[in-house]
Amino acid sequence: MSKKRKIISLAVWLGLILITLVGIFLTGGTESHETIREIMRDAVLHDKNRISLFGMEVNPAVISAFTVTGILLTAALIIRLFVIPKFKIIPSKFQLLLEQLVGFFTGLGKSNSPHRNGFLNVYIFSAGVYIFFGTLFELFGLQAVTTHGIPIALPAPLSDINAAIALGCMSYLIIMSGGIAANGIKGVGKTLKDFSLPISMSFRLFGALLSGLLVTELVYYYSGLSFVLPVVVAVLFTLLHALIQTYVLTMLTSLFYGEVSEIHKKNKKIKGVN
Amino acid sequence: MEIPLNIDWQQILLHVFNFIILTGGLYFLLYSPIKKFIDSREQYYKDLDSQANAKLETAEKLEQEAKAKIANTDNEIKENRTKAEAELDAYIERQKAEANAKAEKILSDARDRAQAEKRSVMESAEKEIIDITKAVAAKMLSSSTDEAYSQFLDIVERDERNDNS
Repeated sequence: MSKKRKIISLAVWLGLILITLVGIFLTGGTESHETIREIMRDAVLHDKNRISLFGMEVNPAVISAFTVTGILLTAALIIRLFVIPKFKIIPSKFQLLLEQLVGFFTGLGKSNSPHRNGFLNVYIFSAGVYIFFGTLFELFGLQAVTTHGIPIALPAPLSDINAAIALGCMSYLIIMSGGIAANGIKGVGKTLKDFSLPISMSFRLFGALLSGLLVTELVYYYSGLSFVLPVVVAVLFTLLHALIQTYVLTMLTSLFYGEVSEIHKKNKKIKGVN
Repeated sequence: MEIPLNIDWQQILLHVFNFIILTGGLYFLLYSPIKKFIDSREQYYKDLDSQANAKLETAEKLEQEAKAKIANTDNEIKENRTKAEAELDAYIERQKAEANAKAEKILSDARDRAQAEKRSVMESAEKEIIDITKAVAAKMLSSSTDEAYSQFLDIVERDERNDNS
């Protein structure tokens, strides 16, 4: 390509950007029926925009959760039917990715809870996959219609306090089950000692994902901020949150599970020793 | 009493329900088969490793046996060589003795033959001397001295010619 041709191409590209920008600001766009305050409040409380699910009015995150589960299970079924039967001793790239995924959570469980980790590995694998893909889910901006007939983009499932509480409490119950399985009633005592764990786990997850959601809502609310910035925001608050929160919750669960399931042997007193 | 932050027990249970479905599904569809495959491959490599170790042990054992055999063979070679050397020495001694015996026999035979020849020569010489003496005596008796002398000379010359021929 000659130098002159390059300059013309660049000028056309910049001209198209400029024309589009002018068009965006001149047309003004549709008026938002919600103020930013209402949007932020609804993102936290979900008291306004609710969706009907088999006659129940639920938060959009519930729909997101079921959608994510549906997508993940469909993908898992396809992988199970078409990919896993073709596994080889020397793995292909995709096989390697799947093995790394399972190997990562298995390794995390084994290293943090070496005494007992069979069920823990399954749980942290599932929770990790759910948090990671659930957080990425908001990037796709799937639409749903509220009970008031307003279309909204489905949020990440765990940006809802109810989902975060559910996962936090489940993690706590899993930790307790490990304590009971290993140490019986003493395991319950050991787990109850960390009674703040379900609250801290739930609110850490909720806070981290909600902060991303709020910043994203804020950025998308103003059309002036809708150029270039969403790419950075999406990467920072979605991809990084997805990775960090997946690692934090699975690591904490396996760490506490390992702690309560550790079998302590009684130190017998030796006779004759003062 | 209204729970703050719009916390709803029904929705929490819905999320739990959803997560249980996801966990079960992911376990049966992804986790379990992939884990099984990873374990089977680990076992495969462990088997390969144990087979390689077993082969290595066998090879080491064979090496030891071969070394022992080589050592035994060296000893056998030494023994055989010593034995062969001893046999060779004995053979040489035997041959020497036989050669000496043969040489002595040849010498004694030669000596006997020489004695016999000497004896026959002496006998023939004695016989000739006797014949000549008889002839001379006969001549001396039968004729004069000159004739006898010339006859004697003729006889001697004739005998010499006979001897030379």
